[in-house]
Amino acid sequence: MTYQEFKEAVIRYAVENGIADYELYYEGGWSDSVEIYKEEVKGYTTEENMGVCFRCIIGGKAGYASTENLTEEEARSLVSRALENAGSIESEEECFIHKKGDSYAVCEKNDSPRPSGAELVETALALQKELYRADRRVVDGTQAYIVYGSQKYALCNSNGLDLEDEFSMANSYGMAIVEDNGEMYDGFKVKDGRTIQELDLKEIAGEAVEEAVSTIGAGSIPSGKYTVVLSNKAMATLLATYSSVFSAEQAQKGMSLLKDKEGEKIAADIVTITDDPRYKDSMVKRTFDGEGVAAYAKNVVENGVLATLLHNLKTAAKAGVKSTGNASKASYSSVVGVSPFTFYLHPSQGEGSALEDIFRAAGEGLYITDLEGLHAGANPVSGDFSLSSKGFLITEGKKGAPVKNITVSGSFFELLKKVEIIGNDLELLRGKFGSPAILVRDMAVAGKDA
Amino acid sequence: MLSRQLVKEALRRALATGADYAEVFAEHTLNKNINLISGKTDKIADAVISGVGIRIFKGTRCVSGSASSLAPEAVLSCASKVADALTGTAAVEDILLRERLFGDIHPVKIVPADVRNAEKIEYVREACLAAKEYGDEISQVSGSYLEVDHQIMIATSEGLLTHDRQIRNRIVVTSIASRDGENQDGSVNHGARKGLELLSEYDPKELGREASRQAVTMLHAGYIKAGTMPVAIENGFGGVIFHEACGHSLEASSVALGQSQFAGKLGTQIANEKVTAIDDGTIPNSWGSINIDDEGTPAQRNVLIENGILKSYMIDKLNGRRMGMASTGSSRRQSYSYEPTSRMTNTYIAAGQDEDRDIISSIEYGLYAKSMGGGSVNPVTGQFNFSVDEGYVIRNGEICEPVRGASLIGKGSEILMNIDMVGKNVARAQGMCGASSGSIPTDVGQPLIRVSSIVVGGR
Repeated sequence: MTYQEFKEAVIRYAVENGIADYELYYEGGWSDSVEIYKEEVKGYTTEENMGVCFRCIIGGKAGYASTENLTEEEARSLVSRALENAGSIESEEECFIHKKGDSYAVCEKNDSPRPSGAELVETALALQKELYRADRRVVDGTQAYIVYGSQKYALCNSNGLDLEDEFSMANSYGMAIVEDNGEMYDGFKVKDGRTIQELDLKEIAGEAVEEAVSTIGAGSIPSGKYTVVLSNKAMATLLATYSSVFSAEQAQKGMSLLKDKEGEKIAADIVTITDDPRYKDSMVKRTFDGEGVAAYAKNVVENGVLATLLHNLKTAAKAGVKSTGNASKASYSSVVGVSPFTFYLHPSQGEGSALEDIFRAAGEGLYITDLEGLHAGANPVSGDFSLSSKGFLITEGKKGAPVKNITVSGSFFELLKKVEIIGNDLELLRGKFGSPAILVRDMAVAGKDA
Repeated sequence: MLSRQLVKEALRRALATGADYAEVFAEHTLNKNINLISGKTDKIADAVISGVGIRIFKGTRCVSGSASSLAPEAVLSCASKVADALTGTAAVEDILLRERLFGDIHPVKIVPADVRNAEKIEYVREACLAAKEYGDEISQVSGSYLEVDHQIMIATSEGLLTHDRQIRNRIVVTSIASRDGENQDGSVNHGARKGLELLSEYDPKELGREASRQAVTMLHAGYIKAGTMPVAIENGFGGVIFHEACGHSLEASSVALGQSQFAGKLGTQIANEKVTAIDDGTIPNSWGSINIDDEGTPAQRNVLIENGILKSYMIDKLNGRRMGMASTGSSRRQSYSYEPTSRMTNTYIAAGQDEDRDIISSIEYGLYAKSMGGGSVNPVTGQFNFSVDEGYVIRNGEICEPVRGASLIGKGSEILMNIDMVGKNVARAQGMCGASSGSIPTDVGQPLIRVSSIVVGGR
């Protein structure tokens, strides 16, 4: 049956079961992708996805059930599963179905036409050519990917809310492998755009290959304390990993050290962090959150002070504040949590914020361009991190020799306070997290035996 | 799940443009995840995942498609779209499907979905309460119970028709200890490819107390000083070192494309001669076990490294074509919407000859990594990392004070040579492994081992 028919069936069963407060959340879309190896198409994938989540509130307690199987029988099962699950919830924090009354931004749909399979293949092959052309040391194993896809999010509920967001975009991925002296080195570049024509293939290839080539001959350095410049990409990955510490849900559960810290100084004066669901450079500009609350921009950290934690309806009610519109669902089947949309550290505008200026200010130190293993080596509960890293030496105020096989360790909370210089090179990572480069002194680095 | 007639028609359509192989993978999965916080159920996720993934091969080229539906029109439309990506024509002969049942070596006594939430909740609650009662410094405890009932059906143009039902469940308890504005956590988890009888194998109170013991121990620990040193890595989840430092680089998905440091190294020495490592998908009821892989090949026990010599890769059908080698029963996917590729199952370093006490006493100054967190690897460069959840300093051959915040990094090919002592007591532990074909359950394992020199990240 169609989603419309399924929706009607679910509502019918909900009403039959005496459920007054409910919500149906839909997510569906498609994508086509091409993967190139050597000079040929290695893989071509066409995907259609769709799922529906039913959420009911019984006595303030939320019950969830989701499905991808749109049948009459499943509509009935969805309602009875959600009812049983609501009956098993013991937490006394009240959950809500959102009411009408917010004012919503208009969803900016991408009306460029869906590219044909042949166009995708042509673009991917062209990217692969650019990768090989960028440097003579590029070897087989190098790969180009092009994806074009569209995703729709829809939410309707028993209070009459009926919302929809839809986004289409192209995504490219260049993975370069270079070989030198029997050793392999790799580099990546990911870039998205409204259309595949808009992707600058030469630039993507150039940056991927440059990243690989620049690491040739990298060595380790002695363990010790270093002045560290974290690149925009490295700092954005760290911000992404620690974004959960700004969640009121984590704080209320005692799993974030920012609990009860609103209004307090938690970072250096120059640090301002914003969550903006419709950030200008993001391809996905959401108009509503996972509970149907209007999505809007807010400063989370303002000149070093924690302005607010991120809230959904449940955490806001518990704290006695308004939701910040940050109810999240990792996928349609997820339970409602809290997370940012597009979360970024503000770039500095002033003099001395170009990367070369920051290197000069560092004098001697390390420029870290990549942090790895964040899901394990960075702990949001304690704030501690100890991460495999690579980058470059900073010598006499300039970028120097490549460095690998080192770790950089510290505490995210201390790092926020120790930010001394912020760069002007803000770039979004995966469209969701962004930062300029930052300078921090006295970071612990493990390398060769001291 | 799908009628034989429908599957035959889908295969026929998929082959219509000249592919030499076609495969239909259909799935119907029930997932439930119950979360408790402060001893009370907080959230329950309850999902039905159902759909079809279709692949065709022409030589080493692969076209794949998926759809979130098992309705006949959706399955056939998916097959046609996949075929449309090739431009040839072919006369497709009638496909004779022969059903093959490879049997189930993972008995399930209690199907989890037959038991109501309450029983599962009580078990987790008992663990959480014991964790909370461990001491005043325990500020929060969260617990979760996960169950998966994953039914798959695979049919290929070679005439294979087979299916499997994979039931798994898992319990996780995480404690947070707090003092003077500091938090440290400790976590315990157990999972298996079996039914709810798993729960009766563990005393929930012990699970809770163990999570809290770890959190409190780490709360009172200092930071390890960064440097390069010898490390003794405990059995069980310690096996994540092999999983990251070597396992991923032996997957055909990296090897076939020359993206692995171990490509072209079969028959050569890649590890210390004390190292024998195995990937075994046939261990009864083990978390990472399978009856058949996601291409319908029966599970195998693959010796990857024997006394330091590289013996085998982990191979799926598509990459096998590129490598000119047969599948090792290693093709896996999280669900129909992911393209399957070669992955690990239960991977471990086999027992050696060294006594645990000799391993510890051989270290003058170093780290004893008692409990490990996760990690990751870049197979191209071999650079890997993983974190130590609970570590202790070793001084003059004795385990001394606990240290926090350590991580271990290195290059796989170098670290494998540095595993120079291997203990006798193998244990395995459960993890979720993420890669291009999604997140899948895998076991890691090993006895206590010594790595003679490795970079330890600290402060």
